[in-house]
Amino acid sequence: MRTLHLGVLLALAWTILALTFLHLKAKAYGKRRLFSKPAGDPAQGAFYAFTKGMAPWAKESVMMNLPSYAAGMVFHAGVFTGFGLLLLALLGLQLPSALLAAARLLALSGGFAGFSLLLKRCLNPQLRGLSCPDDFVSNLLSSAFALLAFLGSFGAAAAGIWMTEAILLLVYAPLGKIRHCVFFFSTRYHLGAFFGRRGTYPPGGSSHA
Amino acid sequence: MPELDELESRLENLTAADFQRGLEVFRSKLKEAEASFLNSCVHCGLCATSCHYYRMDSTLENIPAHKLELIASVFKRNFTTMGRVAPGLVGAKPLDKDMARAWVDSVFGRCSLCGRCSVNCTIGIALPRIFRAARAALGAMGLIPSDLQATVDNALKHGNNMAMTRQDWVETVEWIEEELQMETGDPEARLPLDKQGAKILFTVNPREPKFFPLSLQASAKVFWAAKEDWTMASDPGWDLTNYGIFNCNDEQAGAITQNLVDAMERLGCKTLVIGECGHGYGAARWEGPEWLQKGYPFEVKSILELMDEYVRDGRIKLDPSKNPIPVTLHDPCNLVRHGGICEAQRRVLRKAVTSFTEMTPNREHNFCCGGGGGQLAMARYKGRRIQSGGMKAKQISDSGARIVVAPCHNCIDQLMELNKEYKLNVQIKTVAEMVAEALVSNA
Repeated sequence: MRTLHLGVLLALAWTILALTFLHLKAKAYGKRRLFSKPAGDPAQGAFYAFTKGMAPWAKESVMMNLPSYAAGMVFHAGVFTGFGLLLLALLGLQLPSALLAAARLLALSGGFAGFSLLLKRCLNPQLRGLSCPDDFVSNLLSSAFALLAFLGSFGAAAAGIWMTEAILLLVYAPLGKIRHCVFFFSTRYHLGAFFGRRGTYPPGGSSHA
Repeated sequence: MPELDELESRLENLTAADFQRGLEVFRSKLKEAEASFLNSCVHCGLCATSCHYYRMDSTLENIPAHKLELIASVFKRNFTTMGRVAPGLVGAKPLDKDMARAWVDSVFGRCSLCGRCSVNCTIGIALPRIFRAARAALGAMGLIPSDLQATVDNALKHGNNMAMTRQDWVETVEWIEEELQMETGDPEARLPLDKQGAKILFTVNPREPKFFPLSLQASAKVFWAAKEDWTMASDPGWDLTNYGIFNCNDEQAGAITQNLVDAMERLGCKTLVIGECGHGYGAARWEGPEWLQKGYPFEVKSILELMDEYVRDGRIKLDPSKNPIPVTLHDPCNLVRHGGICEAQRRVLRKAVTSFTEMTPNREHNFCCGGGGGQLAMARYKGRRIQSGGMKAKQISDSGARIVVAPCHNCIDQLMELNKEYKLNVQIKTVAEMVAEALVSNA
């Protein structure tokens, strides 16, 4: 188990380094110098993009696809919970039983939600058409990780498989689309800043012409 | 058909140097934001229903994420390590003839750059920014649809995109001035040309003098009522359109913008006022300074903002009972979602008409009419343009209004076609036309 713990830590270090490198590589493209006079505040736009702009009711695409959106949210919550449980396992700490039960439920639900999305990707011809192998690998690794986090939290038997899976997931994360765990934030910031500068975000805000 | 063959022939004759040039131009358009966007899509597909093309024709090719992936796959192949090491795994593909053909079909033929997918993307990818980079790359490879490029060439050669001669323009203005004098009963009512030192330089879409003189007359009547100190240019600098925003050639777009800057300097005006035109406002207000790589020494406003100020300051008085027919409002994407002008037109209309109904959805969530992104200038995609406009037609029909107000002449052209195609039986007008109608005489 010790070797696996070390493996997880090394994989984590790789992930952090590689994702940092990717982030810096994107930043190296440089900022666009803007000459037009702003109509609104980019910071306010970015704040809106990360807050009210992420609410389901702020996006028609979400309201029209609520089951998929909900599955996605639960999936992400499950994966993040899995990482929380992994950290506790590495530190040799345990959650109070009520909290542990909640975390297990989240990880289990996240795993199932992830596999439901994978199934949807396999069965829906248009989603299949949108996908490359990375989409399937990323989804499979993340869903399995959440599910194994649930199983691994019960004891050593499944913990070994869970740790191994964690290593695979962490090593793969920067290579494929899981890198969006970093780029989501910069992308959303740029969208919000763009619409904020033009006075479109926040809707109904003081800069709305 | 000749256009189809011509583009296909250009595709077939592409050389390695053409592809290299395309890639170089594509790369030059990418900054930190675009690099983030190209690394972010998770292919969830939820963006599909945000696109008017997809809503009217639910094929894979119309899903915004698919359009993005065509470009992202080339980005991965050429500018990322994983795309070079394991292209099959991450979907990286080379820019070859098939891919160039797919790009043309996608970014010119299936996208009006309306940006509705941006506000609906669960991640927040501003897709039109990437599509613009792809259009620029295709331009460098000689793959701009020729009728779209001809519109740009007209503006570069003649100073306006409809190749009107100076004489035609000036005579039309003089004729409209006579009409305005008759309408107002004021022999002093003017459409001033080249008035040195006027406060405002007003610019119009050449479609107004050419096909919609009443639209220009309405704007002039509003200025007359507000006792505005304004002028138009007789030389280049009177046309607000700039199709450089659609062929995405920044150099050409900048040269067209320069006409406006030169006219402002020549006439010594303080404020450049853009008539009712979505892309014209976006080009002059937002993109122009970026193309020219310098800020303007003057202010740029939409006529919508100006009319809003007139109403607010009591410079014009309106009687809504003069417009009793139910009205709805179309939100041009470049003016509203990408332009930030959301409320001014609403405040004005509420004062100018008796019955105003919003379309659903509206403002930054509006549907494109289908005519944006240069679609009206690309005959080869007319079928798709009319089909994709079905979403707007449904919105209009659902509103129950009998007049659709559209503060954009490109949108008006498209809405007129939709009116016929979908038998909407509505009138289509500009905001200024409604305001001019509601003016209380001698305001």
